[in-house]
Amino acid sequence: MKNKFDRISAIFKSKAKASLNSKVILDSVTRLNPAYLAKFNTVMFTVEIGFFLVLLIGFIPNISNEFVNQNQIFYFETATILILTVWFATFSESLSEAQARARVDSLRSLEKEVIAHKIVNGNGTLVDVTSTKLKPGDEVRVNAGEIIPRDGLVNVGKAFVDESMMTGESNPVYKEKGDHVIGGTRVASDIIVVEITAEAGRSFLDEMIGLIRNATRPRTQNEIALTILLAGLSLIFIIVIGTLLYLAYYLGYKVDIATLIALLVALMPTTIGALLPAIGVAGITRLGRDNIVAKSGKGIESAGDCDVLILDKTGTITEGSRSAVDFIPLQKYTEADVGKAAFAASIHDNSHEGKSIVDLAEEKKFIPPLVERILTSKAIEFSAETKYSGIQFVPLKDIHLTKEQEEQLEEIESFDGHTGHKGDNDKPSIYSSGDFEDMLLNLSKKGSEITILKGAVEAMLIRAHNQVNEDEIKWKSQEISKKGETPLVVSINQEVIGLVALKDNLKENIRDNIGEIRSTGIHTIMITGDTQLTAQVIAKEANVDEVMAEAKPTDKLQRVVEEQSKGHIIGMVGDGTNDAPGLAKADVGLAMNSGTAAAKEAANMVDLDSDPSNILKVVKLGKQLLMTRGAITTFSIANDAAKYFALLPAMFMTENPKMQILNVMHLHSPQTAILSTLIFNAIIIPGLIPLSLRGVKFKAESPQKTFIRNMLIYGIGGALLPFVGIKAIDMILALFFG
Amino acid sequence: MLDYLGIAYKLVTLVDTITQFAVIILGALGFSLPFGLYIARMISFELRPLEKPLAKVERGFFKLIGIDADKQMTWKQYFLAVFTTSVISILFVILVLSFQNYLPSSQHVNGLSIDLAFHTATSFITNTDLQHYVGENQLSILSQMIALTFAMFIAPAIGIATAFAFIRGFIRKNFGLGNFYVDFVRVIITLLLPVAFISSLLLMITGVPQTLNSSVTINTIEGNNQTISMGPVASLESIKELGENGGGFFGANSAHPFENPTGLSNTYEMFLMIVIPLSFPIAYAKLLGKGRGISILAIILIGFGGLLVFGIYTHPASSLIETRFGSFSSTLFNMISIASNTGAINASLAGMTPNAVISFLVSMFVQALPGGAGTGMVYMLVYVLLTLFVVGLMVGKTPEFMGMKISPKDVKIAMFIFLVHPALILIPTAIAFTTGNAQVIIGEKVTPLGYTQTFYEFTSAAANNGSDYFGASANTPFWNWSTGIIVFLGRYIPIGLMLVIAGSFSSKDRKEVIEPIKTKGLTFVSIVLVVTFLLTALAFFPFLVIGPFSM
Repeated sequence: MKNKFDRISAIFKSKAKASLNSKVILDSVTRLNPAYLAKFNTVMFTVEIGFFLVLLIGFIPNISNEFVNQNQIFYFETATILILTVWFATFSESLSEAQARARVDSLRSLEKEVIAHKIVNGNGTLVDVTSTKLKPGDEVRVNAGEIIPRDGLVNVGKAFVDESMMTGESNPVYKEKGDHVIGGTRVASDIIVVEITAEAGRSFLDEMIGLIRNATRPRTQNEIALTILLAGLSLIFIIVIGTLLYLAYYLGYKVDIATLIALLVALMPTTIGALLPAIGVAGITRLGRDNIVAKSGKGIESAGDCDVLILDKTGTITEGSRSAVDFIPLQKYTEADVGKAAFAASIHDNSHEGKSIVDLAEEKKFIPPLVERILTSKAIEFSAETKYSGIQFVPLKDIHLTKEQEEQLEEIESFDGHTGHKGDNDKPSIYSSGDFEDMLLNLSKKGSEITILKGAVEAMLIRAHNQVNEDEIKWKSQEISKKGETPLVVSINQEVIGLVALKDNLKENIRDNIGEIRSTGIHTIMITGDTQLTAQVIAKEANVDEVMAEAKPTDKLQRVVEEQSKGHIIGMVGDGTNDAPGLAKADVGLAMNSGTAAAKEAANMVDLDSDPSNILKVVKLGKQLLMTRGAITTFSIANDAAKYFALLPAMFMTENPKMQILNVMHLHSPQTAILSTLIFNAIIIPGLIPLSLRGVKFKAESPQKTFIRNMLIYGIGGALLPFVGIKAIDMILALFFG
Repeated sequence: MLDYLGIAYKLVTLVDTITQFAVIILGALGFSLPFGLYIARMISFELRPLEKPLAKVERGFFKLIGIDADKQMTWKQYFLAVFTTSVISILFVILVLSFQNYLPSSQHVNGLSIDLAFHTATSFITNTDLQHYVGENQLSILSQMIALTFAMFIAPAIGIATAFAFIRGFIRKNFGLGNFYVDFVRVIITLLLPVAFISSLLLMITGVPQTLNSSVTINTIEGNNQTISMGPVASLESIKELGENGGGFFGANSAHPFENPTGLSNTYEMFLMIVIPLSFPIAYAKLLGKGRGISILAIILIGFGGLLVFGIYTHPASSLIETRFGSFSSTLFNMISIASNTGAINASLAGMTPNAVISFLVSMFVQALPGGAGTGMVYMLVYVLLTLFVVGLMVGKTPEFMGMKISPKDVKIAMFIFLVHPALILIPTAIAFTTGNAQVIIGEKVTPLGYTQTFYEFTSAAANNGSDYFGASANTPFWNWSTGIIVFLGRYIPIGLMLVIAGSFSSKDRKEVIEPIKTKGLTFVSIVLVVTFLLTALAFFPFLVIGPFSM
């Protein structure tokens, strides 16, 4: 039964494929329309005119006695090859567009839509709709953990909103009635009702569709320049052929119009002329394969030209989630003390950071005492204001204490340790004997409230007042920074025990990826809010050229403008609303799909996977695209030398035996020479379709090396290949012509 | 056995020619160094040696013609100035030539017909110097002096000024293209005049006459009276070669013993012809990077050397051996003259081998090996732009030159410059045949030689070269008007377009990053050479095949 089903689905699939193929063929045939070609592909239009002329001569051979002197079949053969040449061109165009359209369809599913709980009738009834259906003025309820569907204002409630994906600020922001919230951000706690204020953005996939149709696609600068070059060359060849007709005639050669048309078509850069549209579309499709939506062709092209990349540290270079790697005790304590305290402080922390602290402590077997109390303790949630989190509990009275612990407790009695306010901090700390376990037990015995916290150095120093050795903490935290890690201070009540080193891991392969990009001469700048010290260490690890540390969100735009004024082409990634101006200004702006509508609107590309390091892929692809155009152009022009050697002897050899010297390929006869040249000229187009769709391979090397390699392959190779190809085809034709 | 002798002869003369060539090239290179550095200073308005007295003289001139020397021109203003100056000069020359019989020291010559006057005027002002007349018979001493020698200073000065403006476009953003009138006056007064003056004296030492007498009558040994034409030859001769003009005082040009009396004068004239064209790469090196300048120089020398070797490789037919300077030395002179767009020849083209003729034609197609004064350098840079664009994309970046992107507009203009040349050569050649005007000169039966001569005439006109097969036999209205118009278009369309490119680049952002394709070094030199020759061959190969190749 299952087998049968499989077979049926296979049939359906192959049918779908066949229908796609037949669609491509049908489409490519409709594009043979001269009006279409005249508008979008002048080179092929010229070839088609040549086809009509030769066909006409084929039907009415006595149109001229002077310039028509081959047998009739030859004209039909020539005409067939000419129209095939044009069809190969339109086929490559149709094929690339079909592939691109298929890609767009599959991307549709990835285009981000959020389910929003819309409040209807104002009476609190909720209806789930997709975010794109929301209109300004609608009210939606957003629960904790959900994404705010679009930009708006808080109408009811207050909540912490995680805006890290927008602003880079990792701490949730407190929002209450009247505050502005950004679409795409996540509510971290509580529930709010948001009134939508922004219009729905147009789907950027629609913009991509406009880019893949040859008829609607705006040409990029390079394409325009190339088209001009090709048109110029074609015009030169038209002049050459036109005047050659007369001059050869006066010199007494029997010139045949079909032969001249063959020469013209062979000389004109038909290969690049045919494949130019397909190359551009294929670039967009290949981006789509990486789930990146291009909104303008210019963006992709600029990506190749990009010489400065501005990369966010968090998310692009590093994973963006920090993990604990080390516990560093203050003088009087041990690593175990810090580990246990940090464990305790993180027990309720569900963030990646918190979990990693627990994991590390467990791994090192630093399990705090009174685990059951800690587990049931009250959580102190992290807030943007306090910048710390932890636990608080009142220990049970019935703890069994050892003799020593009792003694210690006696000493403690004389102090009031836990309230920790001024007045008692001149004296040395009661806990100075060290050992977190003892401290905890002592405090428990006393029955006082225990607070174990972890938090940012600055915030914790303020909280601890002068009860700690500030210099030691600062010095140790600096040591942590030097390694590219971020310090967290751990304290129990007012006493700082030590620090936890958090490390933001580099993304997999990021070093190699950046290395590849840099080797092509691109300057990479890492931008981060971290301190200079931390930033530099990470920059070194990630292999970037330059860091901008302690940067504010607005610094990005400033840097973009600054670099552009020096003539550089800038690529940047962004997702937040405050990135939008920078994205709009940058030559290559890649917005994250998880980002705000404003950012996606401003950027010229959107990454549906929301992986900022994809900018590197974009750059590579842009380079590939330009390389492919250049390679096939060079190939096309280099081809011409051989064609002269094939066709000139064919045209003049009968009357002028001296021309035999030029017949280096020793072609069978003038007729086979002409046909084999034209056939070579035609089949090279489908032969290069795979290359134009796939693109010339990108290699991480200096531009000069790339240049020399491509020059050897496409320049020298392009000059030699037609000699071999034409000769081979001629040998086959010789069999038929006898 | 005879064959071996032939080969040995060929080898000896080849070595001889190469030695002679090496001496001239090394001499010219030696002199082009100070000249180039001097030109660089003129381009960037730096202090020149003797700046104070020079500036004084110049300022006097500026005041005289009422120029604001500090005013910088846009490309449009610069071109307008070039164009106006040229048109006024052409009109002046036409007037002098047409009415020379009314002017003093007319020696009973008639005024030139309007078509010949037009042809001669455009031809000389555009630095072409195609001559459809015989100087010693048809021109007065005054015409030779105030019309032609005058034009010979104007023409190169315009070309050099254009190159100044063009190079300025690349130096730095918003540097400006300079002021045409200032460049023009400075080039004449502080470059061409002093060198031409000294050169005239040197040529006079070798025996070139300089006199206001139009002829001298002597009693020959046979007892007959012979009238020998002469005149102010040396002053014309020096600027003829120095300014890459090429229009001879006598119809026979540098083959005439009074224009080129000895082997020494022959060598010195060759030197004069290439010293300014070779100075430009040096100036370029000074202004835009040593490596870049040397690479351009290498392209010129290798390209020229290749053409020369190709040209002298085949042994000429015995009946055509030139005896005065020897066939190889003559080919060398003609090669240097034609490649530098001078067009003065010391032996008739009819005596040249097909290979030599192909070399001549190719150097006129390229116009940049080294090409005419100033314009040769600009053509070379246009080829560099085109080359960088054609192959540059293969690096994966929009092609750049000097850290500036090559925009579609630049490609369009560069392509136009490249396109104008074949159009101006091929279309008129076809017209000359279809209207039968070519057959009037070369005969009803069109042979490869006859076709080559016709083709050569238009090539020389479009390239502003001036060497030709026809000479005074082409003094018909068709040839005068057609080649007169072509020299004009072949000069001012490219100059205008070159200035557009300069204007476009002068406003571009420059950035200091590694060039995607280095514009110096071996790779660059070979790529530019290959692409330049390939593009040229694509446009002209069939015409060489049916012409000189089949002769």
